[in-house]
Amino acid sequence: MSLQDAVVYVLLGAGVACEVIACVGVVAMRNAYDRLHFVGPAALGAVLIAGAIWAREGPSGIALKATVVAVFLLVASPALAHATTRAARISERGDWRPQPSEGIEVEEP
Amino acid sequence: MNEWEVAAAVLVAALVPCVWVCLRRSFAEGVVAVQLAGTIGALALLVVAEAEGREPFGDLAMVAAPLSFAGTLVFLRFLERMR
Repeated sequence: MSLQDAVVYVLLGAGVACEVIACVGVVAMRNAYDRLHFVGPAALGAVLIAGAIWAREGPSGIALKATVVAVFLLVASPALAHATTRAARISERGDWRPQPSEGIEVEEP
Repeated sequence: MNEWEVAAAVLVAALVPCVWVCLRRSFAEGVVAVQLAGTIGALALLVVAEAEGREPFGDLAMVAAPLSFAGTLVFLRFLERMR
């Protein structure tokens, strides 16, 4: 096994492991907010898989596509997590901002 | 089966728990699972493209990722209106 193969195996294995861990976390957690914490590592897995494709193919069309997908997921995933939390709070409480009944102190700007 | 095909199989299998959460849990939790399924699905398409040595399959992943993002935003709009 060459060094290149070893790098590909490690990156691909780590990327898939990230996705599986995210999947197990989403299934095991108790509510939507807890589950959202495990969606973030999925974007990291995309970067690792794109790295594995780069390590195997070098600069090529599929490597470029993998990079585009990984960058998009890296940018979109946190924004989507924020939007999901906001929508879930609006659905639960009618407003996304902290409510007096929650006992959260908010500093006025 | 080479390592890429095994990785693709594992990623596709990882979609099953996401479907289970969508079917059995609340709407908000289902949206989170759809979000994760979109990411895993796009990556599975990418890995299949690499496994089969067919570069055009990578286009499917490039289309699936933004469409999944847009689809989740639509579900979030519905979620905001559910009270």
